[in-house]
Amino acid sequence: MTYPRMISGLLLIMLSTVLQATEPALPPGVMVMDGRPAPALRLENIDGEAYELAAARGHWVFVHFWASWCGPCRREMPTIARMMSTLGDGPLEVVMVNTAETEDEVFTFLAVVAPDVVPLMDTDGLVTEHWQPRGLPATFLVDPAGTLRYLALGGRAWDTAPYLALLSRLASPEPEQNPVNGAPP
Amino acid sequence: MRILQRFLITSVLATLLGAGLLLQTLAHAADASRPQPAIENEQLYMFLRLNSPEQIAAFYEARGFPRDAIERLRRTCFVMAHVENRGREIVWLELENWRFIGASGEIRRLDRQHWGGVWDEIRLPQASRSTFGWTQLPEVRDLQPDEPVGGNMILPATEGPFTLEADFHTGRDKRKGMIRVRFTDLRCARDTPAP
Repeated sequence: MTYPRMISGLLLIMLSTVLQATEPALPPGVMVMDGRPAPALRLENIDGEAYELAAARGHWVFVHFWASWCGPCRREMPTIARMMSTLGDGPLEVVMVNTAETEDEVFTFLAVVAPDVVPLMDTDGLVTEHWQPRGLPATFLVDPAGTLRYLALGGRAWDTAPYLALLSRLASPEPEQNPVNGAPP
Repeated sequence: MRILQRFLITSVLATLLGAGLLLQTLAHAADASRPQPAIENEQLYMFLRLNSPEQIAAFYEARGFPRDAIERLRRTCFVMAHVENRGREIVWLELENWRFIGASGEIRRLDRQHWGGVWDEIRLPQASRSTFGWTQLPEVRDLQPDEPVGGNMILPATEGPFTLEADFHTGRDKRKGMIRVRFTDLRCARDTPAP
């Protein structure tokens, strides 16, 4: 290795350390992913409208998998509804994927708990299996380049300060490439 | 039109949900007299719930499972486990390191492979297979700090008490020690006799 390369390497390491020291930590239960490309997600929502994740390039996407029979999903859903209301319409896109339930099952639950949520319907569950969440519920945060950047483990209180802070940073008009500690380059 | 329809139905559903929640609360109050097997320490929180065939049938029936599938599930013993990593190291949930032991020795779980064969035989629809899969405890999970996991394990219907011994390796490389938990005097839940 040449001398200038060594110096630039050292500088990069120092810069990365400084950035990590100044950035806030991730909220509990959110882990950094390896930055692999997000799997395809092409589904219709409960109103029959087509959605394609690839069309969301350029901004962050909150991709959430859930089912109404799952206790943690039921407890988490109102926090997501409040989070959506707090963040309002912005660059963060929220995509709610229901796993293998019927329209009636989904509607019966959401109409009471989160009437403004319009979920995508993974009616046979195959899209969910392709994404391989660690269980239900699961939330992936997909970056503007379409890669998997963060994974929230299990149900999280999305309407509380640490999670809103993370999402607000991602949704800010000039999102940083590495908004929090440990994000891959 | 669809939005109006939803709006009208919402109020009815809210009433029904409220009544349902009340019934659920009462049911929980009734269950409170039966202690739930649980273990809690600085590394792990774990509890078990043994559901009766009636409860299992009701759950899967409500998800639209066909009668054939319900009949197969009713003949078994459902053990629901919830595990939560309370420590700072990775905790490895590996079902191959869990053993159910009855009076006549080890009770083998009816695993995903077993159910895959059963579902092929009765041609269970894909949506039901997916739902069934998500209701099972994963075979392997590297539980991160603060990560919970829950799901069912299914045993052949068993008379008499049995024990669950579960070993969890800890640490990314599984070299940070072992957590060993033991639940004794477990019994498959039975249906409540009709009054």
